[in-house]
Amino acid sequence: MPHIDVELERLREKLLEMWDLVDYQLTSGRDAMMNADHELSQRIIKLERKVNSFDIKIDRMCENFFALFTPVAVDLRAVLAILKINTNLERIGDTAEGMARFVCKLDRPFDPELVELTKVLVMYDEALAMFRECRTAFVKDDPKHAKQIIKMDKALNKIYRKSDVVIAKYLQANPDRIPEGLALLSIIKKLERVGDQVTNMAEEIIFYREAKVVKHRRKKKKKE
Amino acid sequence: MTKKYSKLEAINLDAYYGDFHALKGINIAMEEKAVTAFIGPSGCGKSTFLRTFNRMNDYIDGFRIEGQILLDGRDIYEKDIRVDELRKEVGMVFQKPNPFPKSIYENVVYGLKIQGIKDKKILQEACETSLQQAAIWDEVKDKLDKSALALSGGQQQRLCIARALAIQPSVILMDEPASALDPISSAKIEELIYDLKKDYTIVIVTHNMQQAGRVSDHTAFFYMGELVEYAKTKTMFTSPKDTRTQNYITGRFG
Amino acid sequence: MTNSEKNRLKDKAFQVFGVFCTFIGLVVLAIFLIDIVIEGVARIDWDFLTSLPSRRAARAGILTAWAGTLWILVLSAIIAFPLGIAAGIYLEEYAKKTKLSNFLEINIANLAGVPSIIYGLLGLELFVRIMNLGGILLAGALTLSLLILPIVIVTTREAIKAVPRTIRDGSFALGASKWQTVWHQVLPASFGGILTGVILALSRAVGEAAPLIVIGALAYVPFVPRSPMDEFTVLPIQIFNWTSRPQAAFLTNAAAAIIILLLITFLLNGIAVYLRHRQQKKIKW
Repeated sequence: MPHIDVELERLREKLLEMWDLVDYQLTSGRDAMMNADHELSQRIIKLERKVNSFDIKIDRMCENFFALFTPVAVDLRAVLAILKINTNLERIGDTAEGMARFVCKLDRPFDPELVELTKVLVMYDEALAMFRECRTAFVKDDPKHAKQIIKMDKALNKIYRKSDVVIAKYLQANPDRIPEGLALLSIIKKLERVGDQVTNMAEEIIFYREAKVVKHRRKKKKKE
Repeated sequence: MTKKYSKLEAINLDAYYGDFHALKGINIAMEEKAVTAFIGPSGCGKSTFLRTFNRMNDYIDGFRIEGQILLDGRDIYEKDIRVDELRKEVGMVFQKPNPFPKSIYENVVYGLKIQGIKDKKILQEACETSLQQAAIWDEVKDKLDKSALALSGGQQQRLCIARALAIQPSVILMDEPASALDPISSAKIEELIYDLKKDYTIVIVTHNMQQAGRVSDHTAFFYMGELVEYAKTKTMFTSPKDTRTQNYITGRFG
Repeated sequence: MTNSEKNRLKDKAFQVFGVFCTFIGLVVLAIFLIDIVIEGVARIDWDFLTSLPSRRAARAGILTAWAGTLWILVLSAIIAFPLGIAAGIYLEEYAKKTKLSNFLEINIANLAGVPSIIYGLLGLELFVRIMNLGGILLAGALTLSLLILPIVIVTTREAIKAVPRTIRDGSFALGASKWQTVWHQVLPASFGGILTGVILALSRAVGEAAPLIVIGALAYVPFVPRSPMDEFTVLPIQIFNWTSRPQAAFLTNAAAAIIILLLITFLLNGIAVYLRHRQQKKIKW
């Protein structure tokens, strides 16, 4: 294998390690949220430091890669994509940390009725699925797969758009649960952010494999 | 196994061509089983410096050095050092492929033959091993008795590398080994260098900045006979300390 | 007439003039050759080649003359070849650029231009008188060796110089000594060139009469030389001898001998051209 491919492979592996780390944050974040598990949440928050060091490490590796290999064409797009996916992953890590901090403030699990009404679990699972599918698409270098992920984001947005109304209604009925409701709203917002981040990552995969910029087109659609 | 960090060393080295002061107070220590690249503008002394390690400058009238060059801690310019013994330890590959006008086989075993080795079996084995190491065996195994001059430029250069490997040196000096080749052949040579550093200490002079970046672990920047900066290649290519280095590697020189 | 037309006319005029100049030499040579061939070719037969010289033109042959020429050729080659090549190698590979080596170089170049009769006198003094050899084959060969030595040295140096520096570097870098490099790389690579030079030098020696006459080669030798210590004659001397006789028959003999001499020279030159051509085809740096 040519030297440049060896280095590129190392870079991808490093990124996948980070991916797994963030995956753990997200997955255990779901359990922590459902059980109001403060200990687990603390662990998630602590992991953020590790994610940050990965972020810096990968940034440095990309910088070195540019400096030493002066990549062009597909190699160039690969490193650019890795660089941006890295940033997005780090932000998803931040988001997971943020959600964990909300969970820390809870003294008991969310009211099952509220969970049911807001469909937050559906949303969480969908976001997790997107996140994992995106990893698969990256490992397989599969832009078709990546395009499907972008479509998955719509379900998230749908739930998100309805959530404020649903929560407002719920809070009117249960005024004693205002902090709980607000926390859940924030978590839903954050999950929506995760969906966007994953979408960005999927777009980078498409850009890397097909040299097509899909970002701009999507934004137009969003505005409609 | 621990690596030596001073396989090759220069201590307060000054070199002169007659009155011309070609190298000025060079101090450097090069790591074992790694690639060290010498870069710098033409006439900066990097080739001269490279050639002091196998004493190729000895043939130039008026050339002399002051200071020390150490190979495994021994001064190679001491009186009791035999140049032919030194060159068994320190091989060299040149800018232009320079196969001898003989068969491929004769080219590879030349270094062994002049040492007085006549055993056909040893020679043939050495020939095959070194051609394989130089990643050219598959291309030439059926025409070992054909003239080396019939090979393409890139193949010739790999043959020259095989020829240097045949005498089992521990250090290989390369003076712009890919500059006379087309991009594909050049890339093959780079891959080869990358593979060879597992077993050999390699010092390469190059004008090609990208090449230095791709193949080397450490880079030394020379300017006007001085060693301006010596650092890990990564460091040098991302954050050089000296402005002259910065200007050179970004192509803003002069 | 415009300027460019004028220029074109000048160009054309020079071309015609050039062709004329080229042909003058060729035409004169051709006339001479034709004249010789017409006069001599009929005289060449087996008897002419295998007969000893005689006072009667019709019975005289050139056996001793061409045998002597052959002896001289081989002996001179044996003497001049190693000496000239060794000197050439020394000057090109070993000699440092000192005043002495500069002096040597200039003088060798000068020696190549010294008239052959001077070499004859040198040979006479050195080999015939001081070494007391007498007018024998060895003395003649030594004298002619001196004559061609500068040419051999110069051509050897040129041939060695044509071997690229990189080949030597490659050999040195593999631990070869200077001698190993010269023996295994430089000489084999330049051998064709050296041989060409030697043969051209020999073909010059074949035609020399003056230095051999000076050292005392005889015009009339009634036997074929059997060793380098025998007395001898060569073709040019035989020709010179015959042309100085009044009888027309001897002139015919001379013409026939000239044809043989020319054939030998052409043959040598042909070999030299062939070798050079092969060398150029075999090795492209």
